[in-house]
Amino acid sequence: MSRSLRMTPARWAALGAAIIAIELANRVGGPGMSLVLAEMLILALFASSLNLLMSYGHMVSFGHSAFFGLGAYGFTLMVTKAGLPVEAALVFGPLAAALGGLVFGALCVRLTEIYFAMLTLACAQITFTVLFQWYDFTGGDTGITGFMDARFGLSEANFATLTLVVLGVCLAAMARIINSPLGMSIRSVGQDRWRAEALGLAPRRVQLVAFVIAAFFAGIAGTLFAVSQGSAFPDYAGLGFTLDALIMVVIGGLHSFWSGVIGAVIFTQLRHWAPLFTDHWELALGIILLVIVIALPHGVASVAGKLARMLGLEGRK
Amino acid sequence: MTGTDNILSARGVRKTYGSFVALNSVDFDLPKGERHALIGPNGAGKSTLVACIAGQLPGVEGSILFKGHEVARLMPAELAKRGIGRTFQISRAFLQMTVLENLTSAHIISAGRWASLSKSLLAEATDKAGAMLATVGLSDRAQTKVADMSLGDRKRLEFGMALACDPDLLLLDEPTAGMSIKERHYLMDLVAQRVDETGKTLLFVEHDIDVVLKIAQRVTVMVRGSILATGAPTEIAANEQVQAVYLGGHH
Repeated sequence: MSRSLRMTPARWAALGAAIIAIELANRVGGPGMSLVLAEMLILALFASSLNLLMSYGHMVSFGHSAFFGLGAYGFTLMVTKAGLPVEAALVFGPLAAALGGLVFGALCVRLTEIYFAMLTLACAQITFTVLFQWYDFTGGDTGITGFMDARFGLSEANFATLTLVVLGVCLAAMARIINSPLGMSIRSVGQDRWRAEALGLAPRRVQLVAFVIAAFFAGIAGTLFAVSQGSAFPDYAGLGFTLDALIMVVIGGLHSFWSGVIGAVIFTQLRHWAPLFTDHWELALGIILLVIVIALPHGVASVAGKLARMLGLEGRK
Repeated sequence: MTGTDNILSARGVRKTYGSFVALNSVDFDLPKGERHALIGPNGAGKSTLVACIAGQLPGVEGSILFKGHEVARLMPAELAKRGIGRTFQISRAFLQMTVLENLTSAHIISAGRWASLSKSLLAEATDKAGAMLATVGLSDRAQTKVADMSLGDRKRLEFGMALACDPDLLLLDEPTAGMSIKERHYLMDLVAQRVDETGKTLLFVEHDIDVVLKIAQRVTVMVRGSILATGAPTEIAANEQVQAVYLGGHH
């Protein structure tokens, strides 16, 4: 449930085991596995940033990829246009995304529910179109390539470890925000803006802050993705990434802190391994999504909780 | 008349929804420290008047002075900061949060530090919330999710949330709706006690006439968007017009 995040000893143990399992797979699985893992971890960060917005702020965005793309291009353009060293340009990815979040957010939070979602979609499409068509500046649909060694020249395995660390730091920061007065305010407005307003909150301002925070973390994911590919393409801001992240959050389960991560693990692993067994992996994904939404409306994260309670690791709350 | 001892003074307050006139030029004074009940049949405009005072309706005409300042066009959040707290007719507590989290959130917001990342502020607000739980008699429900609570308990929680903001004027819209008679008197005795102890002013909408007679020092009767009568509870109970509205065919 969307309660403030508490880490019990059992949860710490599960988290530790997951980290060890990922790193182990990374080290023994070969370069192919490491590439899949790096992508999975980056998407886990991206989906988690969307989840922050959806599970805590109750704001459904259809345009979150705008900030993934702005992160990638903010970083890339600082290298190619401003001539900054790659390491220094890194900070401009998340900053560009946060700035984009501020501008688009100020517009979008004026509306709620489906109208909010539609505005975010429009903002993302604008971003995509600018990246796609502004050839002189962004390279248009040919993207920007060859400005750096992919992964800073790190080995596949080492880069996957780096993304694991970045994901861990970002998740810790997100958890810190959720478990703070600000996090309470974001949840309050998400659950009942009238009540929050009557208590003295300006809902739009709170939503804007949540939006910028989510955009910032999406920007980190986008920057990392550009580093992993050594390139930036308009698709990064396209509808595909938004939909993937939405699916991950739903698979993982709304109202859980971990839904972005869990959803990303399931989604990316399926995407990479299912095609080995079937030509119709999207069909398989569709069926899995259908089953999860109908049978597990609270997503896979709820199963973990139920299991832990059945095993007596956690008390019922 | 607008005396300086009126915490609230409304003049010509009018609110329409299309051609429907929900409030028709209402004049209303509320002396500081008074416990005042709003009664009247359904659709009389009681909740609309409360929402107008709390700033939650757009397009309100007329003037509303709160502590001598014009507030008719202010946003609800601003009014909350100036000292107007309210509960809603249909409970609007945060459903997916626990009782304790609801009250903690109210304390954080009323402290004006909604954007803080401070852990000590959160701990402090949680402590205050714990004390408020005891005040409204929900200590054993601290970790219960609001969605899992009875209507009566939600109403109590909402009262606690309004109190957490320490408002000067407390607006309670049907605070006892959906409660048993025993629960009603328990809550409203508590409300009266807290209001008197802290020197607040209370305006409440109530259908249970026993509760009104017991708690209110003055009563205003509304009918079809207008004020029919204002006076002491005994006067109101004896008023023939009021009796006609309540007993006769009110149309």
